[in-house]
Amino acid sequence: MGRHAVQRILMAIPVLLGVVLVGFLLMQVVPTDPALVRAGPTATPDVVEALRRDLGLDRPLYEQFGLYLWRLVQGDLGVSIINNVPVIHELGNTIGPTLELMVASLIWAIPIGIALGTAGAYWRGTVIDRLITGFGVAGGSIPVFFLGLALIWYVGFQLQLLPFTGRGGPLWTIEGLKAIALPALTLGGTFIGPVARMTRTAVLDVLGADHVRTARAKGLGEYRVVTRHALRNALIPVVTLVGLQIGYLLGGAVVTETVFSWPGVGRLAVGSILSADFPMAQGTIIVLSLGFIIINLVVDVLYAALDPRMRTA
Amino acid sequence: MSATVQDLAAPVPAEAEVAPPRRPGTFARLMREPVAAIAFVLTMVIIVSAVLAPWLAPTDFFHNDLAQAMAVPGTEGLPLGADAQGRDMVTRLLYGMRMTLMMAVAAVALGGVLGAMVGFAAAFYRRADAALMRVMDVMLSFPAILFGLALAAIFGPGLLAVVLATAVATVPLMARIVRGAALGVMAQDYIEAARSTGMSDARIIWRHVAPNCLSSIFVFTTLRFGQVILLGSALSFLGLGAQPPTAELGAMASEGRNFLFFAPHIAIIPSLAIFAIVLVFNLLGDALRDALDPKLRV
Repeated sequence: MGRHAVQRILMAIPVLLGVVLVGFLLMQVVPTDPALVRAGPTATPDVVEALRRDLGLDRPLYEQFGLYLWRLVQGDLGVSIINNVPVIHELGNTIGPTLELMVASLIWAIPIGIALGTAGAYWRGTVIDRLITGFGVAGGSIPVFFLGLALIWYVGFQLQLLPFTGRGGPLWTIEGLKAIALPALTLGGTFIGPVARMTRTAVLDVLGADHVRTARAKGLGEYRVVTRHALRNALIPVVTLVGLQIGYLLGGAVVTETVFSWPGVGRLAVGSILSADFPMAQGTIIVLSLGFIIINLVVDVLYAALDPRMRTA
Repeated sequence: MSATVQDLAAPVPAEAEVAPPRRPGTFARLMREPVAAIAFVLTMVIIVSAVLAPWLAPTDFFHNDLAQAMAVPGTEGLPLGADAQGRDMVTRLLYGMRMTLMMAVAAVALGGVLGAMVGFAAAFYRRADAALMRVMDVMLSFPAILFGLALAAIFGPGLLAVVLATAVATVPLMARIVRGAALGVMAQDYIEAARSTGMSDARIIWRHVAPNCLSSIFVFTTLRFGQVILLGSALSFLGLGAQPPTAELGAMASEGRNFLFFAPHIAIIPSLAIFAIVLVFNLLGDALRDALDPKLRV
């Protein structure tokens, strides 16, 4: 198990380097001169020249890449072209809200998805199963922004029930909870379908297993058979699959943040790309990828820890 | 290594041994399922109306009438209303569907062909298999939206970025499907037979392996089509894809978002269209999978 974890971490390193390299190359192809940007519009040419030397922009590319890595390790991702704020600073402000939104979405969508999937598997082939499957297919076909716009229009605008722009404050305040409700409903809503589908498959597999028949044979109630003997065993693959679907959720988060003006990394990424703020765009892409690699790694290692069969393998 | 030997060896086992994916009856079986039949008919309607958009559209693409701006659906002469610039929504919708579908076709074709090549290579050259599939795993582990963001940052927002991003995201999926299917085919005796006649690798893949992977590829492509539309329109909605005045469903929804409270139909109609198109492709893909390739059922 320990060996497995080390192996996975080692394998993540080249991927990480690849992401960073893409970020570096991104800065090479863009048409702006970082020295000019950092010096500001009033700087004299020799100041710019000095800064260029300072930043190492006069050195060959591979040396620049080394420097870039060195700065990256120190958390220096450059400054925004638009407002001269350090990128790392802006990222620090937006990561929290993005995580908040993702957790708030998962916290209700996963239990509902698991419940629906289990019900579908238990009543396999019946009307209930068909309804749940149909719901899953429909849920997987709906554009995230459509769900968001529909909720804004109906719940926010027609019923005037909940706010739909920005973050209302910390989550322990009523305003904060109200503000996150619609974004979390939107993002979570698109996640129920996939979770339900994966759970259904996993539970179906287990329901046919011998130990479930044994549990029934010894006279256990159906509820107990399903929850204790079937679902519990099905949860291992479900946890992994759900974990690996986080990327899917990340894509939805970018759209949801934009629709609801939620101050997260995704919205920052889209905004900086649209305004050609390259250092900021690069920073957001690196952070999103990094977060993603870390989540995958954790899920992978957790899976090995959860499933005893993986330990000997 | 004469041509006659190859020709003799080639077609006979292929027809005799393997259940051909296009066996008569598959289509009939598909049509017996009501959901599949409806999905098939709707797919045809969508494709035909997208192809014929310039002829079906009631008005010229550039025609606008500001007096009709934000006209609600059902207004005289405007069954779906008009957008904020007074353009007929029926016309916009038809052209938007056309652009969205073209984008998806380009992405699935590009990503699919590249992915299939990787998949065949991995199945055929066992020594390259581990390395190739490891690269595919890494690509697969990245969310497609990140490809979209990165490519839009590099090339600037536009259809090119969206097509490339969705194509890149398709490559590893197609590679996996094709590798799996090809490995199954490669285990068959007739591949050994073809090898023993001295056929070249490329010819074996093209003549014997690929045709027998077609049903898997076909099912995957149909299902992927819906996903690519969903992804591409999301990128366009974010402003990273098609730019105005291009009519593209995601971009139209994004434009309509500004008028959500005065004229919700401008955003709702293209969004509904995306939903409907993706749903239809997903239903058709599921039905095709059940009819052609039950092994793919996840």
